[in-house]
Amino acid sequence: MVHLTINGKVVQATEGEMLLAVIRREGIEIPALCHHEAVEPFGACRLCTVEITKEEWDGWSNFVTSCLYPVEDNLIVSTHSPTVIELRKTLIDLQLARSPNSPEIRQLAEEYGITKTSYEEIPEGDNCILCGLCTRICDQMGFAAISTVGRGHGKKVAPPLDEAPPDCVGCLACALNCPTNVIEFTDEGNIRTIWKKQFELITCTKCGKKTITKDFAKALSESRNIPMSYFEICDECHRKELAQTMGRIVSWSREAVS
Amino acid sequence: MNSRLIVTPNLCTGCRTCELACSFAHPVNGKLGRSRITVLDGGMKDLWVPVVCMQCDDPACVKSCLVDALRLNPETGAVELNQEKCVKCMACVAACPFGCSLFDDQHNMIIKCDLCGGDPVCARFCPSGALTFKPIASAKLKESA
Repeated sequence: MVHLTINGKVVQATEGEMLLAVIRREGIEIPALCHHEAVEPFGACRLCTVEITKEEWDGWSNFVTSCLYPVEDNLIVSTHSPTVIELRKTLIDLQLARSPNSPEIRQLAEEYGITKTSYEEIPEGDNCILCGLCTRICDQMGFAAISTVGRGHGKKVAPPLDEAPPDCVGCLACALNCPTNVIEFTDEGNIRTIWKKQFELITCTKCGKKTITKDFAKALSESRNIPMSYFEICDECHRKELAQTMGRIVSWSREAVS
Repeated sequence: MNSRLIVTPNLCTGCRTCELACSFAHPVNGKLGRSRITVLDGGMKDLWVPVVCMQCDDPACVKSCLVDALRLNPETGAVELNQEKCVKCMACVAACPFGCSLFDDQHNMIIKCDLCGGDPVCARFCPSGALTFKPIASAKLKESA
C-alpha cells in the first residue's frame, strides 16, 4: 500500500497504479482525451497533467501526465493548482487552434473559459487530435489495421497506403472510442462502410436485425474458437429461443402432472 | 462461490418485479438502468420464463472479448463487465448463445448480469420463488474464465 496526498487529502493506492486512476477514484474530475482502460496509458493529449511535489523537494514541484505516472509514497498531488490550470488552458488553447470545429474540444474549452483560441486558427481544422487511441485499441484487439502515418504537420491516422485496410474487420472499436468522434462510418442496409472498406453485416435469420460484420464474426470464430452458428441470430432472438426451449420442457412436466 | 441464481419457470407469474428490481439496482446517472433480466413468453398459456445470464463455466462472452473487459469474479461466481475497459465492439452481444449480453442503446453501453455483487435483487424481490439465489452442494468451483 502506498499513501499519497491528493488536493490535501491523504489517500491509499496500490503499488504500480497510475495517478489518474487514483484521482478518478477519489471523484476528482480532470480531462483526459487519449486515455482508455483497455489499452496501456500513452500520454498523448497531456490534459491529465498534474503538479507533484514531496516534502523533501524543498518547495520544488514537477508537472507529470497522471495517466503515465505510477503512484509513489508521500507524493503530494495538486490537480487544480493555478499553474496546472494555466498549463491545461494552454493545451486546450492549442487543441482549439487545430480543431476549432470539434464539438468535444469546444465544450472542453468552454469548461476552462476559452471561447476563442489565442493562437492562429486552422480555419477548416482537423478534428483528429492525433492521440492514437484508435490505433492503440485496434492493436490491442489484435487487428492492427490502422496506424499513424507520416510525421510533423503531415501526421495522420490512416490504413496502409490509404487504401481499404486488409486487416480491418469493421468492428467499429476505433470509431466508437474516438474522443472527438472523427472516424466516419455508415451502416446502410446490410453494408457497413469504414476506412473506405465495405463489410457485410450479419442479418438475424429470424428477425432480420443487423448484428456484427461477417468478417468480425469470422475473426472471433477463428481466434477464440466460437462456433459460427452462435452469430446466426441476434441477441433478442437468442433470448426468445431460450424461453421457448425452457417453456417446452416445463410444458411437458405440466402435462405429465395433470 | 457456491451459490447460483436458480430459475424455476414453472413458478413464474410474469409479474416482472425482477425486471423492475434489476433496473433500480443498476442506475445510470441516477436514473433507472435497463434490466439485465427479461421475462419472456414460454410459448404456452400462463407460462413465463425469466431469461437471465447463466454465468457459464466456459462463457462465449469472455472468449469473444478481445480487450479482457469481461472477467469472472471468483467471489460471486459472476462474469462481470468492466465498463471502463469495454470498447463497445458488440462481440459479446453477438457471441452469447443465450442473448444475455445486452446493449443498452439508451445509455450507449454493454450490460450484463453481475449477480448484484453476490446478492441478486431479482431473487430477493421475486414474490413467487421462481428466482432464488441458493448455495448448491455440488456447484463446481470455477477456477478461471
